[in-house]
Amino acid sequence: MDTFVQLVINGLMLGGLFAIISVGLTLIFGIIRLVNFAHGELLMVGMYLTWLGTTQLGLHPYVLAPPVVLALFVVGLLIQRFILQPLLDARDAHVQIFATVGLSTALINLALLVFGADLYATPSSGVRDSIALGPYRILVGQLVMFVCGIAVVAALHLFMERSYLGRAIRATAQHRAAAQLMGVDVKRIYMVTFGIGAACVGLAAVLVAPIYPASPTVGTYFVLTAFVVVVLGGMGSLHGAFIGALIIGLVDSLSGFYIAPDLKEVVIFGLFITILLLRPTGLFGLGRGSE
Amino acid sequence: MSDVTIPATPRPAPRRIDGGTIAIAALLALILLVPLLVGDDFVFHVFITICLYGALATAWNIVGGFAGQLSLGHAIFYGIGAYTAALLVPLGISPWIGMLGGAAVSALVGVGIGLPCFRLRGPFFALATIAFLQVIRLLALHFTGLTGGAVGLMVPLQTGWQWMIFFERWPSLLIAFGLLALTLAVAGYIRHSRFGYYLVATREREPAAAAAGVNTLRIRLAAVAVSAALTSMVGTFHGMYLTFIEPEAMFSLAFSVQIAMFALIGGIGTVFGPLFGTLLVVPLTELARGWLGASALGLHGFVYGTVLVLIVLFLPDGLAGLFRRKATTEASDVEASAPAATAPAEARPARREMGEPILVAEHLNKRFGGLAVTTDVSFSLRQGEVLGIIGPNGAGKTTLFNQISGFLAPQSGVVRVRLAEGGFVTPHSPHGFARAGVGRTFQIVQPFAAMTVLENIMIGAFHRHPGRAEAREKALETAARMGLWAQREVEARSLTIGGLKRLEIARVMAMEPRILLLDEVMAGLNQTDVQRAIRLIEQIRDDGVSVIAIEHVMQAIMALSDRVIVLNSGRVIAEGLPQDVVRDPTVIEAYLGKDFAHAHPA
Repeated sequence: MDTFVQLVINGLMLGGLFAIISVGLTLIFGIIRLVNFAHGELLMVGMYLTWLGTTQLGLHPYVLAPPVVLALFVVGLLIQRFILQPLLDARDAHVQIFATVGLSTALINLALLVFGADLYATPSSGVRDSIALGPYRILVGQLVMFVCGIAVVAALHLFMERSYLGRAIRATAQHRAAAQLMGVDVKRIYMVTFGIGAACVGLAAVLVAPIYPASPTVGTYFVLTAFVVVVLGGMGSLHGAFIGALIIGLVDSLSGFYIAPDLKEVVIFGLFITILLLRPTGLFGLGRGSE
Repeated sequence: MSDVTIPATPRPAPRRIDGGTIAIAALLALILLVPLLVGDDFVFHVFITICLYGALATAWNIVGGFAGQLSLGHAIFYGIGAYTAALLVPLGISPWIGMLGGAAVSALVGVGIGLPCFRLRGPFFALATIAFLQVIRLLALHFTGLTGGAVGLMVPLQTGWQWMIFFERWPSLLIAFGLLALTLAVAGYIRHSRFGYYLVATREREPAAAAAGVNTLRIRLAAVAVSAALTSMVGTFHGMYLTFIEPEAMFSLAFSVQIAMFALIGGIGTVFGPLFGTLLVVPLTELARGWLGASALGLHGFVYGTVLVLIVLFLPDGLAGLFRRKATTEASDVEASAPAATAPAEARPARREMGEPILVAEHLNKRFGGLAVTTDVSFSLRQGEVLGIIGPNGAGKTTLFNQISGFLAPQSGVVRVRLAEGGFVTPHSPHGFARAGVGRTFQIVQPFAAMTVLENIMIGAFHRHPGRAEAREKALETAARMGLWAQREVEARSLTIGGLKRLEIARVMAMEPRILLLDEVMAGLNQTDVQRAIRLIEQIRDDGVSVIAIEHVMQAIMALSDRVIVLNSGRVIAEGLPQDVVRDPTVIEAYLGKDFAHAHPA
């Protein structure tokens, strides 16, 4: 029983990690209708930035959150402005996928060129210490991630529901042309949205870096799970992504122990394929899967 | 339709050996000859790599380009090819046999993946293929007994043609070149056959393709089977060439992406585009790696990714787009002169007598959730009849059409269609209805936008004329008859609404249907075009085609219909001669409300 509870705790904490990575992905999909295949690489960039900040400037990783989040916001803005915006009215809807796939490949290999294939571990600075909860243990960093995951989802939700900009973003998502006619600057909305999505993943990077080492393909590793989370939760749904992340975290933790550690991803991807085929709208989705 | 010019004998374009063909033959010859003449190991390596990637990208393009299904899991088939052969060699079975076995397995796996996944679109299809790739890679790592797991598998070093492993480089080049030539030949054959036209039509607009008699799922599965088999064959050879295989390399996502990228850079949907892409980036990166040496880890991927982004931004049709644009302008110059022959004005056959029922709908019911859209609708269409269906907006006319053309299944009730040979059938799919002789148009026009007008019509013509030349001839004849002769070489997207409506009818008429379903073909037309359309439908009717027309333009309904059915809220509320139906108080009430039911002058 103790093992099971510990596994559930591990699973939920892992879910917090998946949630914070997936939020930006689902936001960008929900608003811009774009599946960002380069999302994992934004995480990778953020993790290298955190590594640089901690090792070169000797700062605590969490102190780097504001600059890294800001940097990723700007990167996201630029990607939308200079790569995706020109493709907004392309004849073939596939070209946006091609663009993000190309960007992803270019960024992975750029990292390989600059940093090589080695792992770069960000100093843990106490983040990897564990807290005891009775007989169970939790890493400080995982707890922080879990709390931040909830906070980010809640903050984004409030922002979208209450603020003028949030309303404009939702209006644009529902009907681009109509929003434009109402005086919404759609291009700016898309830039801001992509920027926010990238900023979320910047925060994720800062929190993940002290726990997992940075490498050129670290983004691929996490983003594949993020896709599963986002599709499970329903593409575009913020709280869906959070619940989806917890479910996938639990599945990961439990199947890794009860089935086989090297087959837990088979279970996750199997689940993914099943959802795509049987319920492409996910649990809370917008119903775009089979569109 | 007496005022139209009809070409006496539509001339298919003469087969010319043009500059492009010569250039491509020369290019292929160079790929083979340069390394043989230079004889340097590095040059051999570069050209073998070109052949390999060229073949892989060309094979990918059959699914990713022609069929428009963006697979990012093609390494599945490549890995299956490599593993099948490598596992059979220790049993004393030649990799040539393993190559065929792997191809067969891959084709089956491809169909198995495609069958459930082809209803997913764009990014979701891509994600599903990635997921399948990951599952297969992880399973290959897990079952170490079969695959050797992460340790990998050494291919026993037996040399000679029988074992596909050589001391010299040239036999490997020859095999790689052979595979390239094979994939190009297959892709070329597909692109210029009915199969290829059907794939592109399905990619552009699936419902319109289905209405034109295309079994859209089956042709996509056929495409993935062919693509998977070819990819697998290349995988077998590459496994033998490397003599060492492991799951991480064979079932790699990055590798899958790379294959797709070459095709995208070169231009998907064209036969030679993927090869052009390969020729641009492979030498570039191999040379750069040669100059920079081992420090350039990741350089090739960086170049691929950057080139892809640049191509997408500045050259959306890929490298092949550069050539194609030039080629189409040439083609339209050649056939500028329209053959002219006026059809004799009074030579039309007299209208035939109406015959037996040819399409029968019995007690059709359809609900969308709680909304009854079709309630107990029964009617029959007789041979040679024009049946008008009218009714206010939202009456369920188009839903009814969808049920008598296979796009929607009624919850209860049957639709029976009489075949030309006699005997009724009940088809269950759009292509089944097409095969039974039912052709339909769509209320919202569904042109294959990227195809020319002529190619659009050919999609219909292929239904009865599988050969490309015959289909083209039929399409030319139909284009002339439908007043689309002058626009036959322009892309469908540039037609006016009147032109698009005519194209819609032309495509379905090229199918030579016995029953024609017209869904508001007059809507949005100006008076001249309405007159033209009426005459056109009269002519179609006089040729013996039975017609059901949904229409709001009363002028057309009154002029054409032998009988009219009025639908309201999913029920038949009146049926009879057009002049009687328009006076029916129930009908007036349905359109205008109760107050007007008795308001018309007696």
